[in-house]
Amino acid sequence: MYAVAFKVLGNRGLAEEATQQTFVKAWRAARSFDEQRDLGPWLAAIARRVAIDVYRREAIRATDPLESVAPGDPALVSTPPAAETIYDVWEVREAVAELPPEEQEVVRLQHLDGFTHAQIAERLGIAVGTVKSRSFRAHKRLAAMLGHLRE
Amino acid sequence: MSTNDNERISYLSGEAVDSLTAQERAELDELRTLLQTPATWEEPDAALEDRIVSAIADEARRERPVESSAAEAPPEPQARHRRRFQWRFPRPALVLGGFATAAAAIVVAIVIATSSSSPAPLQFAMVVNGTPLAPGAHGSATLTKMDSGWEIQLSATGLPHLANGRYYQAWLKNGAGILVPVGTFNDAEHVILWSGAPVTQFRSFSVTEQLANGNPVSSGRRVLVGIAHPVH
Repeated sequence: MYAVAFKVLGNRGLAEEATQQTFVKAWRAARSFDEQRDLGPWLAAIARRVAIDVYRREAIRATDPLESVAPGDPALVSTPPAAETIYDVWEVREAVAELPPEEQEVVRLQHLDGFTHAQIAERLGIAVGTVKSRSFRAHKRLAAMLGHLRE
Repeated sequence: MSTNDNERISYLSGEAVDSLTAQERAELDELRTLLQTPATWEEPDAALEDRIVSAIADEARRERPVESSAAEAPPEPQARHRRRFQWRFPRPALVLGGFATAAAAIVVAIVIATSSSSPAPLQFAMVVNGTPLAPGAHGSATLTKMDSGWEIQLSATGLPHLANGRYYQAWLKNGAGILVPVGTFNDAEHVILWSGAPVTQFRSFSVTEQLANGNPVSSGRRVLVGIAHPVH
């Protein structure tokens, strides 16, 4: 849920606030939850609504000159990410979290930090071939888990 | 796996692949973009989970009716109609931890919300997390005062089944560091433990890996930890 909130808000403090509010709202609505449903999507929907409410509150609050506002500040962006994008982030985060730690690390270094296989190998103190095989296994798992995102 | 699948995976993992169509590359580039998104990797502050559980506990206290005065006789204990919440999260083994532990907190909240109304016995709840010895472990527990002691219902994933002379031991600890054993088990997916020590004072929970070698003291190899928060 934190990932969903962070995707909307791009700010750690606001995302944590939204995450906390999400679970309190979910607790209040717990009696209406159908236990036959999956919990994750229900929570993600609440998280998105809460994050957007926080986003709009912050957008109204901001009074700084335009030039002084950071590029990613919610007040500067006119609309929050689309619902589909938010849920995609949640799905990808779930899939990444299921990777073994050594594969997760390679994927993070490669995609988030932008390192090459050779740079990853040097950083982790392992052979380039090991990096490549971990990367291949990781992406094979991710492709299997996330294929539905492109349907 | 087809040759094309291998090529798609190779492209996704950063290899140069010439045989993919423009549409295939575009689809895989979308997935790459999501993997490059900071939100996929951001971790919340470690204290967020406790703040969430505390906030929910505060909500529960606010919704509790005003207690009767000390002069009135306590009501007869009612039969508790406790529905066991069926955890149906599709991918339970989350290593990054943020969603899993928070989702475990809401499982606790839903268990509390769907239990019978007042007068309810004294109850605590907690999220449990893996230690560096078991980083993928997580779950939740409810701790309920019963006539025979404190019943602890623990549900945790990410811990391997132990056998052949190895087992798990659960402990409660008070502020003075005194440890009380509350049960041994082989699998943590659904365990019922019992404590004769009051959870009101012994609120720090842990699980250690132990050997069946006659030594009853804690091995110190903690795999799961949590702090109990009152909800009733």
